[in-house]
Amino acid sequence: MWALFLLLFLPLFALPLLVVLGASFATHWSGVLPSGPTTAHYASATRGEALQALTTSLVTAVTASLIALAAGTWAALAAAELRKRHRKALDALFVLPLAVPSVVVGLATLVAFSQPPMLLNGTRWIVIIAHTVLVTAFAHQSVSAALTRLDPAYEQAAASLGASPAYVLWRVRLPLLLPSLTAAAGLCFALSMGELSATMMLYPPDWTPLPVLIYAATDRGALFTGSAVAAVLMAATLLVLLGVSRIRTRASYR
Amino acid sequence: MSGGGIRFDHVSVAYDGNTVLDALDLTVEPGEVMALLGPSGSGKTTALRAVAGFVRPASGRVFLGERDVTGLPPHRRGIGMVVQQYALFPHLRVEENVAFGLRARRVPRAETRDRVAEALDMTGMGAYARRHPRELSGGQQQRVAIARALAIRPGVLLLDEPLSALDAQLRSGMLAELARLHRELPDVSILYVTHDQVEALTLADRIAVMDQARLQACGTPQQLYRAPDNAFTASFVGNANLLPVTVRTDGALLGETELKLDTQGAAPGATATLCLRPHLVGLGDGPGPNRLTGTVGEIQWRGATHRLYVDVDVAGHRVMADVRELRDPPAHGDEVTLHFAPDDAVLLPAGVGAGEERR
Amino acid sequence: MSAGNGAAVRGRAAYLWALPPVALLALFFLYPLALVAQQSFQPDTGGTSLEPYADVLASAAFREALWTTVWLALAATAGCLVLGFALALVIAFVPFPGARAVARFVDVFLSFPSFLITLALLFVYGTVGMANGAWTDLTGDAEGPFRFLTTPWGVLLAEITYFTPFVMRPLLAAFSQLDTAQIEAAGSLGARAPRIVRQIILPEALPALAAGGSLVLVLCLNEFGIVLFTGAKGVTTLPTLVYGKAILESDYPGACVVAVVNVLISVGLYGLYRVVSRRARA
Repeated sequence: MWALFLLLFLPLFALPLLVVLGASFATHWSGVLPSGPTTAHYASATRGEALQALTTSLVTAVTASLIALAAGTWAALAAAELRKRHRKALDALFVLPLAVPSVVVGLATLVAFSQPPMLLNGTRWIVIIAHTVLVTAFAHQSVSAALTRLDPAYEQAAASLGASPAYVLWRVRLPLLLPSLTAAAGLCFALSMGELSATMMLYPPDWTPLPVLIYAATDRGALFTGSAVAAVLMAATLLVLLGVSRIRTRASYR
Repeated sequence: MSGGGIRFDHVSVAYDGNTVLDALDLTVEPGEVMALLGPSGSGKTTALRAVAGFVRPASGRVFLGERDVTGLPPHRRGIGMVVQQYALFPHLRVEENVAFGLRARRVPRAETRDRVAEALDMTGMGAYARRHPRELSGGQQQRVAIARALAIRPGVLLLDEPLSALDAQLRSGMLAELARLHRELPDVSILYVTHDQVEALTLADRIAVMDQARLQACGTPQQLYRAPDNAFTASFVGNANLLPVTVRTDGALLGETELKLDTQGAAPGATATLCLRPHLVGLGDGPGPNRLTGTVGEIQWRGATHRLYVDVDVAGHRVMADVRELRDPPAHGDEVTLHFAPDDAVLLPAGVGAGEERR
Repeated sequence: MSAGNGAAVRGRAAYLWALPPVALLALFFLYPLALVAQQSFQPDTGGTSLEPYADVLASAAFREALWTTVWLALAATAGCLVLGFALALVIAFVPFPGARAVARFVDVFLSFPSFLITLALLFVYGTVGMANGAWTDLTGDAEGPFRFLTTPWGVLLAEITYFTPFVMRPLLAAFSQLDTAQIEAAGSLGARAPRIVRQIILPEALPALAAGGSLVLVLCLNEFGIVLFTGAKGVTTLPTLVYGKAILESDYPGACVVAVVNVLISVGLYGLYRVVSRRARA
């Protein structure tokens, strides 16, 4: 069983990531192992165009995640106060972007914001809007799942102590939701960092996120440079996720 | 804040068409401890939540003192409340938990500090002010929950099964503690929901017995214990033997056995339920006129007492008797005689619970 | 006793609070989507007609893309279910050190974009990749035998690799609730492993399998990155067709028609997934 597991698991899941990592340090790969070790790809993957793409991706992901978190949390909190049927309808509405192909979200955003009254085509905002729409569904889902798990005894205890609903929200419910909120933020961030399909439809030349750059590199045959950029993307995502999970442990152990 | 007791005026609550509280009329006097005693699903917790404002009555009014609070949201009612699972805020320290209600009311900082210290001292938790709830034992969390409720100086304290999450030993300690707290705060009315008769008998000035969404009886523990109104109350407040009898002019007929007792004006010939407390039943012939004979079905040694279950020859009825520890207890199957004084028996109208041993 | 929910008084205020997020969603998602639907009825020649639909539905490219999308999604889902079940079974029931690390790795894996897999496969099975390199080294042939990467099989391999964890997660959750005493009892009664799997574990896992499977089906139908990175020429699915029509050909009405078809299929399936997974939880 053990051997079978390793046989299936390692080649399938671990290998792809290792391969990308290995390739990012190589100049040739015509045998079993990559050859011609070099760090030149990283030199180019961390400056100029690539560096700009990294900041573009980071800014887009952070902005989209924060807006999505705010909107998703608001929607989940508001839905929790509604009657059951209306609550379900609102929940369904907010997960709809999950079901719609992200290419179509990209196309729809392109169609809607390429014409007056909201002419945003060619600006960074059109990319951020699409990303926000795509990740809001995830934020809303995780927050509303956490809300249903939240023991109503806490807010009732707070209310019996004389706290108004706003005070209860700010001092009790949101702090108790904090671990879920940070988890949702991490998820949104990772998804936005890797978003390609909608971005491909929308990105203006001066707002090129990392995935687009990786695609462009591989498309013109620069596989090894592409790998280095991909490794940068993975590292950036992991770093942020790590940071978020540290905040989360602190929040849940308080 | 608002002293002056609680009044339920014909309060009914329904969920999805099910009546869970049926036209409750009950008054808790200022400074009184009222226990709401009943099995689960009897409506006792619903009644408490109607006072707190977490359920809205379908009809009737709830008063705190002279104030009609029926339509008021929970946070405007000025009530202290402690629930079974304590619901201490896990992200706040003990002192922050206790200060919560004061901060929500914008009590000045210095006064908050004093009142938090006072509430923590009163519950003996002063040394734990900087801890987080998860660092406390169940009993300590319980004390913090009480301190938090008391810090806002409520006129009314609602306790919803506050001891049921504690183990037996802690529970009796906390009972004494609650009694002491009430002596220190004589003006606070306490509504205490429990399914445990010992808690109710120990703590309450009066007990309201609930069953099936209705108030079954209300009185002092002594009244309910010595002279219960009905079979349900008799069996729920203390242990009781409930035996079907036929009323005679100067007593009652149990099977073929004539018993002498005060019929309290019951019509001769009517069927009734005889309520007999186990500890008032003696072993042997006794001095009085009332004797029951039967065979020992079971005998349990309980340290200070022996409990005998005696099968009397009336349609499979068993009589419980708690007698002082016997040197030479009868064995299973032995023939024994039981006796009781005419004053110790109570006649109840025949009805729910008659003939069953319900606890 | 559970009713009340903190606010016994629900009123118009609750609906007012729900308004802003709904308005935002309507502006940035529903309205654009409606415009796509509207444009799918507006051919470049002007006016409103079914002409774009007639054109697109009649074209061989669309039919081929539709067929490729559907069979790829179905095959990938089947593959993910088999593989995911096997892997989850091992992680859940065969005790070994690092099972928790594996579970965490799966989580990390899910947070990476899908196209990384295709990128990696280019190095493993590509024309100058690991596998072909090993072959040429061993046999001395000029070229290796692995050249399926730009065919639908390459997409299938990548999709199975990437989406299998989506099946494993609900399965692991379901297995963790399975009573191990039940399995031990069956084992002590002499039931062999395959029998235990078939009669005890599989029935318990069915709801989770159904939920995970339908999610993967939807995700595969909508997958874009993997297909794009394969080189896109050999394989066209509905999402890449939308991209091609809109960006490469500037045929917006056509792109909108394909988009509408794609949305209808995937939203329909997603609705099914929600129903199935809700039943799985119940």
